Amino acid sequence: MKIVSCFSYLEEIKPLAQAGADELYCAVATLPHFGKPAALTGIGPLKTAVRAAHGLGMKLSLAVNGIAPEFTLKQEAGLLKRLAAADASGVDAFITASPSMFSLLSKLKPQLRAKLHLSSVQPCFNSLTAGFFIKLGVSRLILPNQLAPFEAREIIKLCRARKVETEIFDYRFFGCAYLNGRCHLHFPDHYTPNIAIRDGSMCRLNVKAEKLPALSCIETDPAWKPRLGPVMKRLSVRLGCGGAPRMANAASFFDFFSAGVNYLKYGTRQDASEIKIKKVRELRAMLDLVEKFSTTLPHKDARACFIEKMTGWDGNKF
Amino acid sequence: MSIEHGIRLGSLSFSKLENSGRLKDLLERFDWVYLGPEFCENLLENAVVSEIVRFQEKGKKVCLLTPLLSEKGLKRLTAVFKKLIKLRSAGRLDINNLEITVNDFGALELAERENLPFKINIGRQLYDNIFVLKRTQLRVLNRLALDFFTKIGINRYELSTIGIRPRTNFRDRAYGFNPKKFSLTLYYPYLNLTTTRTCMVGMPYIAPDNSVRSIDCDRECRACAFEVTHPWIKEKLLIRGNTMFIEFPDKFYSSEKELKKLRVDRLVYCPFP
Repeated sequence: MKIVSCFSYLEEIKPLAQAGADELYCAVATLPHFGKPAALTGIGPLKTAVRAAHGLGMKLSLAVNGIAPEFTLKQEAGLLKRLAAADASGVDAFITASPSMFSLLSKLKPQLRAKLHLSSVQPCFNSLTAGFFIKLGVSRLILPNQLAPFEAREIIKLCRARKVETEIFDYRFFGCAYLNGRCHLHFPDHYTPNIAIRDGSMCRLNVKAEKLPALSCIETDPAWKPRLGPVMKRLSVRLGCGGAPRMANAASFFDFFSAGVNYLKYGTRQDASEIKIKKVRELRAMLDLVEKFSTTLPHKDARACFIEKMTGWDGNKF
Repeated sequence: MSIEHGIRLGSLSFSKLENSGRLKDLLERFDWVYLGPEFCENLLENAVVSEIVRFQEKGKKVCLLTPLLSEKGLKRLTAVFKKLIKLRSAGRLDINNLEITVNDFGALELAERENLPFKINIGRQLYDNIFVLKRTQLRVLNRLALDFFTKIGINRYELSTIGIRPRTNFRDRAYGFNPKKFSLTLYYPYLNLTTTRTCMVGMPYIAPDNSVRSIDCDRECRACAFEVTHPWIKEKLLIRGNTMFIEFPDKFYSSEKELKKLRVDRLVYCPFP
């Protein structure tokens, strides 16, 4: 398994490589991407980044994974030119999500040299979805964090048969409760804030349970009334401070690793440079650990040892 | 053509409606009956097929809603599709009065693989790929997004209610698409804000040493929907199972003429989120 890390600034490339990244990815301000605005202003800095990454023996992918890129015909022509320029700059892959971006990139074929990766913001939860996007030319699937390794077996099998790579996120540094790419809580498009809400913070309500007003039930099924108390308590705690159950954990990581998933991703572009570097070191340490246990212990013991060790991992330093 | 009206039944069934005496009224008021789980594969059951047949026998048009799918849901949906094809071959289903709404690209792929003879619509969990939907805006992203789905035979898209008279780009030639190539279905009065797989209502806690096999639950979503007053926002949030909704005011359009300008020719009432 190899490490893919995000970066925002050119100065981060070398230290991320030293911290253990095998590949990098970034976004540029002039091409539609998911999440926070990119710090790299356009194709110029992208070229410099590609040269730096390749000079260190690393591939570089460009996220063009905006799920809802809006453009006119005139803007479409400009976008196509910028994509062609990005391709010519030497990026190794485009991370894509939107059907319209797939269509645009297909216009660059057969000259297109960069590969296509399916972003997790176009979440793939089954092998037929994987097949749908593989037909569009995808050579790597970035799996969503709300997918269990057991559920991913058929996807991984298909990818292996079609020589398509797979990638997962490090469970410690990523994981919204809601489906990434399909969440309308993120921005106040449909609700009216009473206070200034930071982008994305509505997805993590993070209100203390005792401060969250009691839930009220609508149209309760009489048969459920005696069992409703624990359900309400569960929901209240999860909304307030407990968060949704997390499928991605030490055990699921071990199982994805054992299933032969190719890449481990860290992708919080808005993190400060020093945090990015620290986190990539943590990814490297975790990979070293899982490789050590897997090569020296029987599978079952390796899994137990890895989970025990990682359960004690201290995330407070981040 | 006048606006068609539908009702999304959710957990209500033909028998439940019949027993409660509400069936007759429903059959009179609505042209379309929307059945099946829109948001969760755990609720996808073979029984939905016989429900489709029963409503068609009463002269109703039916739309089968399908959710986001894991491999487990895909297997269930495959069984449902095979049954529908069998019933169609036996002459027990009217092909013109059955549509399937998909919320997963895998369901699109499955429909193609099984040569599903029914009309396919794009559902409320996929519309972001084609439209920008905000309180004051309803816009097609670009012509390529629309072409992508038109090429695979899609021309109906399902959206939730938004505010009255949203701004559109449907007549803006700069975008280069033909608005006559698509129709919209509008669900009201609830808009789905977000969905999770790890259902906040139903899924039990997952220990760090537990790599789950699937989303496990006791179908707690069937108990009720929950209303939450959040201190940060003015509106109330509504939670049903794995999805969070927001309710829009009763009056979301001024006239049918206005709806037609928005390419909306079908309204689907949801009695509950």
